[in-house]
Amino acid sequence: MFKELDPLLHSQLRLAIMSLLIGVKEAEFSFIREKTDSTAGNLSVQIAKLAEAGYIEVNKSFRDNYPLTTCRVTPNGITAFEKYVENIRTYLQAKK
Amino acid sequence: METNEKQLNETQSLEVIQQMLNKVKSGIEDDSFYYIFWGWLVFIAAISNFILMNMNVEWASAPWFLMILGGIVTFFYGMKQDKNRKVKTYADDFIKFPLISFGVSMVMVIGFSFKLGLNSYPMILLTYGSWLFISGGVIRFRPAMIGGIINWILAAASFFVDFRIQLLILAAAVLCGFIIPGHMLKSRFRKNIQASQA
Repeated sequence: MFKELDPLLHSQLRLAIMSLLIGVKEAEFSFIREKTDSTAGNLSVQIAKLAEAGYIEVNKSFRDNYPLTTCRVTPNGITAFEKYVENIRTYLQAKK
Repeated sequence: METNEKQLNETQSLEVIQQMLNKVKSGIEDDSFYYIFWGWLVFIAAISNFILMNMNVEWASAPWFLMILGGIVTFFYGMKQDKNRKVKTYADDFIKFPLISFGVSMVMVIGFSFKLGLNSYPMILLTYGSWLFISGGVIRFRPAMIGGIINWILAAASFFVDFRIQLLILAAAVLCGFIIPGHMLKSRFRKNIQASQA
């Protein structure tokens, strides 16, 4: 029996954000934007959705008088990501 | 990645995950500078000290003043790196504590060995060995761990030889423990960048 894939993660940019954050402690907004090759507006929207779901934590501060946004994955986010990867594997194995 | 809600099939999902994990690797700071810079600095100081001693020069230990220059350069380089750091990894945290313990041990060994009438080089190598083995293990970089083991072996050997030979052993130890692993780390960093751009 297939489990439904988490719709929040089953979208290209949100999955990319989570995949980036899962490998680090925290990353700046500019780093995520550069690596995902996304626009600032789109990225902000997707980050907000992940934060709202409790998958990531967003911290807003200042550095040298410029706004600085950093993101880190939460324990809930790690669990959701692991579950998503596991479900994907199940799908792919069933296809073979 | 322009679309807001681009849906993926399962294979594409795995590709996105793999691609991003590779990009993270290339985004992590290149810390090889510290290995290479300090490696060459100590290597040059040890060899110069050895040559000057053999020439019976009175100020044969003068090359060790390079270490002060090294400290200043490292301080400013570290500050610049910290300012430009866009991503923090767990390895940064794990490596911080061994680094502090290495620094404290090093200061005590260099500063107080004379109180026991001991030559400090064997203990310096012992401390180098511990630092390399631990830091190499934390960042999963085998050449640094091997360098650490070589430093331990050379530390044991240096207890049995005179001061001049200890200088040569020290140069060999930094070559194996810092310079070679440092260049390998730099090359690994470049490969990661190329892989993420491919």
